[in-house]
Amino acid sequence: MSAFESLRIAGSGLGMHQTWLDALSHNIANIGTVRSTAEDAFQAQLVVAESREDGGVRVREIALSSAEGRMTYQPDHPLADEAGYVRLPDTEMSDQMAELIMAQRGFQASAQVTKFAQDTYQTAIGIGQR
Amino acid sequence: MSIGGIEGIPGVGGFTPFVPPTVPATPSAPAVGGAPSVGGVGRAGGPDFGELVLDGLDRLDGVQRTADQLSVQAATGDLQNIHDYTIAATQAAVTTQVTVAVRNKAVEAFTEIMRMQV
Repeated sequence: MSAFESLRIAGSGLGMHQTWLDALSHNIANIGTVRSTAEDAFQAQLVVAESREDGGVRVREIALSSAEGRMTYQPDHPLADEAGYVRLPDTEMSDQMAELIMAQRGFQASAQVTKFAQDTYQTAIGIGQR
Repeated sequence: MSIGGIEGIPGVGGFTPFVPPTVPATPSAPAVGGAPSVGGVGRAGGPDFGELVLDGLDRLDGVQRTADQLSVQAATGDLQNIHDYTIAATQAAVTTQVTVAVRNKAVEAFTEIMRMQV
């Protein structure tokens, strides 16, 4: 429906930021997930966005961070190998928190666009009314 | 008046620039000398007002149906994104208001004519 283009585009922005927020909450929830050195570390989800031809934005793919992770010396950990090492995810809590704020602000901005679009439609409806 | 610079910026894509709708030309005046036939005024070309209203009501029904389905999904917990529902509800509300505005204009015109002194 072409009359609601700005609403649709703002909705695509809301959807992309929602996916981003979901990925970030997944990453933050697994910030302390420990794996043994025999397997891959927890891989953080990185949302890759792209613009759409017909306006708006979409999630192109969800990339994964390095599987190597961060080798940490924790000899008393049940998953530690003979040398006493485990794999922790290669993500920083501070980075994830900063991205969380960016995603939240982007979501709020898109929501604000829908509010302005609604106001614009109300103005158009009000033309000629006494 | 046109803003030529905006269309000229390369790489600005993703949306189509606003094109004002073209209203079909007014029907040609009735032949001089002959009395205009009853019901022949304004009927040449384009849908009549009743068809427009019916078309609008059909579309309104579809939009409201979408919003209803999403509200059921919200109630049953199947809704994937909250904003899908709120946007559909906004579309339904605005479409309803447009339809009511058109209806009010039609009724206004009718009462205006009925008030005419003869």
